[in-house]
Amino acid sequence: MTSEIVAEIESQARELRAGGLVPEGLEDELDKCFEDVAEESLAAAYSSATRTAGAPRAVLGMPSSLAELRGRAERLVRRRFGPRLRRVERRAAVGARRAAEAGWIQVHVTADHMERLAAHSPLASRVLSTVRPRELAAPSSATRRPAIEGALLKWTLDRLSSAPQHEGGPRPVLHAECGDGRLVELLAARGLDARGADPGFSARARGDASIVAGGALEYLGATPPASFDGLLLTGVVERLRPGAARALARLAARSLAPGGVVVLVSARPEANMAKDPVTADLALGRPLHPVTWCHLLAQSGMLDLEVFEPDASDPDAREPELFAVSARCPEQARDGAGYYDGGSRGRP
Amino acid sequence: MRVRPVRIDQIIPSIVERDAVSHHTLEAQKVLHSMGFVSEIYAGNMGPGLHGRVHLLEDLPREPPERQWVCYQASIGSPAADVFASHPGLKLLDYHNISPADLVERWLPHLGEEVRLGRRQLAELAPAVEFGVADSEFNRLELEEAGYRRTAVAPLMVDTTNVFSPPDPRLLERLAAERSRGGRDWLFVGQMLPHKAHQDVIKALVLYRRLFDPEARLHLVGRESCPAYADALHRYASALGLAGAVDFAGSVSAGELSAYYESADVFVCCSDHEGFCAPLLEAMHHRLPVIAYGVTAVPETVLDAGIVLPSKSPVLVASAVQRVLADAGLRASLVQAGLARAQEFSVDAARRGLVQAVEQVLQAA
Repeated sequence: MTSEIVAEIESQARELRAGGLVPEGLEDELDKCFEDVAEESLAAAYSSATRTAGAPRAVLGMPSSLAELRGRAERLVRRRFGPRLRRVERRAAVGARRAAEAGWIQVHVTADHMERLAAHSPLASRVLSTVRPRELAAPSSATRRPAIEGALLKWTLDRLSSAPQHEGGPRPVLHAECGDGRLVELLAARGLDARGADPGFSARARGDASIVAGGALEYLGATPPASFDGLLLTGVVERLRPGAARALARLAARSLAPGGVVVLVSARPEANMAKDPVTADLALGRPLHPVTWCHLLAQSGMLDLEVFEPDASDPDAREPELFAVSARCPEQARDGAGYYDGGSRGRP
Repeated sequence: MRVRPVRIDQIIPSIVERDAVSHHTLEAQKVLHSMGFVSEIYAGNMGPGLHGRVHLLEDLPREPPERQWVCYQASIGSPAADVFASHPGLKLLDYHNISPADLVERWLPHLGEEVRLGRRQLAELAPAVEFGVADSEFNRLELEEAGYRRTAVAPLMVDTTNVFSPPDPRLLERLAAERSRGGRDWLFVGQMLPHKAHQDVIKALVLYRRLFDPEARLHLVGRESCPAYADALHRYASALGLAGAVDFAGSVSAGELSAYYESADVFVCCSDHEGFCAPLLEAMHHRLPVIAYGVTAVPETVLDAGIVLPSKSPVLVASAVQRVLADAGLRASLVQAGLARAQEFSVDAARRGLVQAVEQVLQAA
């Protein structure tokens, strides 16, 4: 029945055209109009890339002839070496993945060193901008990050101020990747021995001795265990692969004294999705969801997991850009890792 | 008969709520539990609301085929496929289609690479996979073409939250107020991604307004997943003088989605590529006549419960909408056929499909 209806509809469409009701060329104009706006939108989206790379096509996609050539070459090779090639590829892929996971922290540490070097040397800065992956190009100054303010700021400071007393007296609270040191000052104003570490030198240049140069992974990796009562992680947590994120969670747990608190503030992955396409999940370096961070911290042996929830009655807070997760180091060392059960506690 | 394993675990690259493949994976877990298997989901990444229900991929147990089977939910290229490939358990693969790179890479170059990787991985996994399940015959044929020896169709377990949620009353009121001023309402639901070809629905609307109904409106519901493409669509609507006629609703709640379905006159789909297209069934559930461009899995999903067009020339699509809206008898018969068709894709029917697929593997020598 529907095929007859479709035939009738096609006939009606032909009559509309023949009757002059559809101006000649209108459909072509509609196509062209979309092509024009498409070019504008693509140029706007990739303006920085097109500025540096010249011809937009070279940046936005492989020229079709080259892609075709590549396809032919692949088909030819597969016909000849198919099964053997697939085995080799599979082994290479597994090996490469393992190597990448193992080396990832070192990549970050190296990137932190390069960031610091780039702050001093225009030449190093130019080299860094050409060789580092886009995802590693994390903002190094606080002005490029969403500010931690309002209820989120109070929540963060309250948790970092809540470490218990030790026999040997309080230990410092560290803000890793502290940017201009604003939060370090706020923590110090609460009577805490607040320190900061940042790959940039802006705060240090102002003569703030409590802030040292160093990326989060670099600094924590070089710090003896149980050095801090509190640890605030920002910035770095937004550009880790899941494997490196797990390593950072373990590093954080190691560097906290018993009862110490870690607070992690990061961009919501949903916000990232809004700016970046659907494959953001698969991209190298991306914000992780708070639940994922809770799992990672719980598996590192942390307890009392809490996620900062915005005030649902506040219309401006419906889709906040930032979230925060806090966790506490157990008073006594435990064997094995916990897991996050969705409540406020991890458990062994 | 094959040895019945203790557990059948699922591997998925990324799992989030309100996503068709993710929902299917969660439903499949319930089916496997009901069959008496231990079954957990292991994901490379997880979204909100899934804590306690999903595990990290790194924690996937590795047991021999007599004790463990693993099922990979394939819809994009991912390192998770490598984990699946290297797993010692018996392997099943559930295929939800992968969009061709040439439809997306102009707008999303890295998505182009990911889908290319996905298709390559699909072919590479073929020799290792014991049984391939696809959610449409179209997808099953792609599996066969990729070298899968044993395949079957088990329909997608569609999220009925969208179908049975009561419509949001405030939105319903707003849409009714717009309708009271005259003009028909077109609807398309789908993520704003280039292969969904929203621009072709807009082109058809231009012709429809010019030829039949100058007050007609179009509601585009779905997350703006590709910013550049979404920007182009906004610019396009403005350039065509349709800024007030095209409603970019974005991502909406289940109640709001119901309100859009309830208020619309016709569902128009001009997608260039669909592996299944769940919104077509949602529209049918909501007694909405469906007009769709007949490519990929769309004709199979719609069958005779909608108007499936051989091309999406704007005049043809506009004429089809006019015919359906002007012919009350045709509209009524499409609505009835749509309700019957949607029923065929009930969750129970989809569950039976998965159970049969697992039993087929168990019975294989």
